[in-house]
Order: sequence, then C-alpha cells, then structure tokens
Amino acid sequence: MSDYFIEGLDEPAELSGAPVLELSGVCAAYGRIEVLHGVDLAVGAGEVFALLGPNGAGKSTTLNVCAGLVPATAGAVRFAGRRLNGFAPDKLARLGVCLIPEGRGVFPNLTVAENLHMMTYAGVSRSDVEAKAYERFPRLRERRTQVAGTLSGGEQQMLSMARSLTTDPALLLLDELSMGLAPLIVEELYGVVKQIASEGISIVLVEQFARAVLGVADRAGIMLHGRVQKIGAPSELEEQLSAAYLGG
Amino acid sequence: MMETNAAVPNPVAAAPAVDGQGAAAPATTASHERIDQFRSEISRLEVKVPEDKGERTWLIAGVVLLVVGGIVIFGGYWGASGTAKVNEQLPYLLSGGLLGLGLMVAGAALFVRYSMSRFLRFWLIRDIYEQRAQADRIVESMSSVEDLLRAATRPRPKGD
Repeated sequence: MSDYFIEGLDEPAELSGAPVLELSGVCAAYGRIEVLHGVDLAVGAGEVFALLGPNGAGKSTTLNVCAGLVPATAGAVRFAGRRLNGFAPDKLARLGVCLIPEGRGVFPNLTVAENLHMMTYAGVSRSDVEAKAYERFPRLRERRTQVAGTLSGGEQQMLSMARSLTTDPALLLLDELSMGLAPLIVEELYGVVKQIASEGISIVLVEQFARAVLGVADRAGIMLHGRVQKIGAPSELEEQLSAAYLGG
Repeated sequence: MMETNAAVPNPVAAAPAVDGQGAAAPATTASHERIDQFRSEISRLEVKVPEDKGERTWLIAGVVLLVVGGIVIFGGYWGASGTAKVNEQLPYLLSGGLLGLGLMVAGAALFVRYSMSRFLRFWLIRDIYEQRAQADRIVESMSSVEDLLRAATRPRPKGD
C-alpha cells in the first residue's frame, strides 16, 4: 500500500520560472495495483520531453496523471510551480493542459469538420477552429466532409492534433503519436511537433518505439517498472535504449 | 551531461536520477507568451489546500491575542492596584479586565480551532490508513481461506 500524504503539507514551490510540468515522487494505482512508484520529471517552457519505455512501464499512466484522469496516490503534480494534485481534468484542459490519447480519440462517425466543431466549447467560433486546423494541416481541408473513421491513421492523428491545437494548449501530452503509422507520416507529424514546440508550447511525448522521437526531443527519459530510470539528452539515451529495453 | 537551468529553480532537482542526471528542465530563454499566460492563470487559481498560509496566520493571531489579552489584564490590574478608590478602579476593571479576558477567549478559541483542525486532520488520515490496512489484511486472509477451500473441494483425479 502506498504512503498516504496530506495535500499541501509540503513546501510550496517557487512559482516564477518554475517548470511548466513537474512530477515529484508521483505514485498512481489502478485499484490495488500500484503502477507508478515515484515518478520524477520536469518539463520546461517550449521543451519537448520524450518519455520512452517498453510496454507496461507506466508511460501512459504518467500522462493520464498529468491530465488529471488518474489520481496520484502520493507525490506532487505541479503545473507552473503549483501543486494541483487531484485537479479535475476539465479544469486542467481549460487551463491549457491537453492530452492526445493513444488511439487518437477522434469521433469516427463525424466528419472532419464536425470533429473540429467539437472544440468550440471554449468559445471559439467554428470558422476560427477550422481555419486554425487547416492552416497547420492543409490535408484536412481536402477531407473536410469525409467521415473521420474512414481517414487513414496518419490523417486521424493529424485531426486529433489539429483538434487539440485549436484549444490553444500550453502543455501538450502526446501518447504514442507514431502508433500504427508509416515512417513517412511519423516524420511529418514530428515535424509538426517541432513547429509547435518552437511556438512555445511544452510537449511531453510518450513513445514505445524510441529512435525516431529522439530526433525531435530536447530531453528524454527512460521509464521502466513505474519509475523514470534515466533522464538526459537524446544522444546519451540513444546508446542506452537497447540495454534499458532488454533489462541490461 | 544533462542540461541544467539556473532560471528554472527546480524542486525536483533532488529527485532520484540515474547516472548523475537530475530531472530538472532545461534553460528557457525564448519568449513563451502562451506559457507566461498559463503561469499567470495557474498563479491566480484558488486552490484549496488544508494547510495554507491563512491557517497558520490565524494560529499565530490566536497566540498573539492570548498574549495581548494577558498584558491588558495585567495592565488593568496594575492600574487598579494604584488606587484604593473603587470608582477609579472601575475603568481599569472594564477596559483591562473585560477587554483582556475577551481577547484571551478569542485568542484561545482561534488557537484551539486551528491547532485542533490540524491534529484532527492527521488523526483522520491515520484512521483511514489503519482502516485500509485492516481491510487489506482481511481481504488477504479471506483470499487464502478461499484458496484453501478451493483446493480442498477440488475433485481428485481417479486412481488416487
């Protein structure tokens, strides 16, 4: 059983200049099974942080904790220096924390335009949402009236990203962006990720197949057995990846 | 080596990291308008935490009121003791005694309220922890009993 902690009893962090996202000693569980056993990481402004690791390491759970979908049972989840453990996912989303889940999460029975219109809840007009999306992903304009379920995997991922970006996120959490996509499409999407990061948005990328993502990331971490085992520059981690995956 | 950032004082710097690498975020020199907006929105959030500055302030205020009340009472006694006339002692009694007593009662109430709430919070957490541990132990015992029963009632293969 994980240790119980009392919200707010630890020292408040320095707010100005604090990392956009910071996890310290974060534990999380599904029922009685603890899957995160003290995750530590920090993501700065405009930084692309790649979280890598084999299947079952706890990468997606870490993202879900960041997005508020899974509560942290211990440790601190801080955004811009403020501890926001247990903050509702919708409130985090309104603040600018945006999760693109594994499997893209598009509405398969709605058209591309209708999928984009779903993001008008924040008070942005339909035309603005569409204009923003098509500016970044011109291919979606051609598919405007096509039902999302019939798009290719890459186009669905584009739609998912476009939809998220129309909400003007400050922190983008991308879960398995490359899953099931052709290398060329992945490269194209990583190009977009780079572009987004250059606009000042912080990005956490979770990937199982790591090599490609290391070219995009400013820093990377290897996650194993519910803990971030190594953090460093992508070039350093690249050498250690195989050993980490094979338990060497 | 991992990048470090003097501009980002990182409380996770002490976080466990392998190969001498911390978890600190790298330097951010570029202007990040959206991030600045995010930071400002986060800083404006009203997050309810059990032990915020307000709670501690009230606790200190309670102690201060207790001390001030004591001083006022002592001042009242000091003034009243300087005269033998009852009509001259009355103002001291009223302003010193009653006011001092009122301050002390208010101070004690604040102190008890805010120190007890902290104590009760710990007690409550402890109680929940114990209850959960107890429930885990019960479930564990029941599982082992269940396993034993299953093993005992399992039909034996013929020929045994």
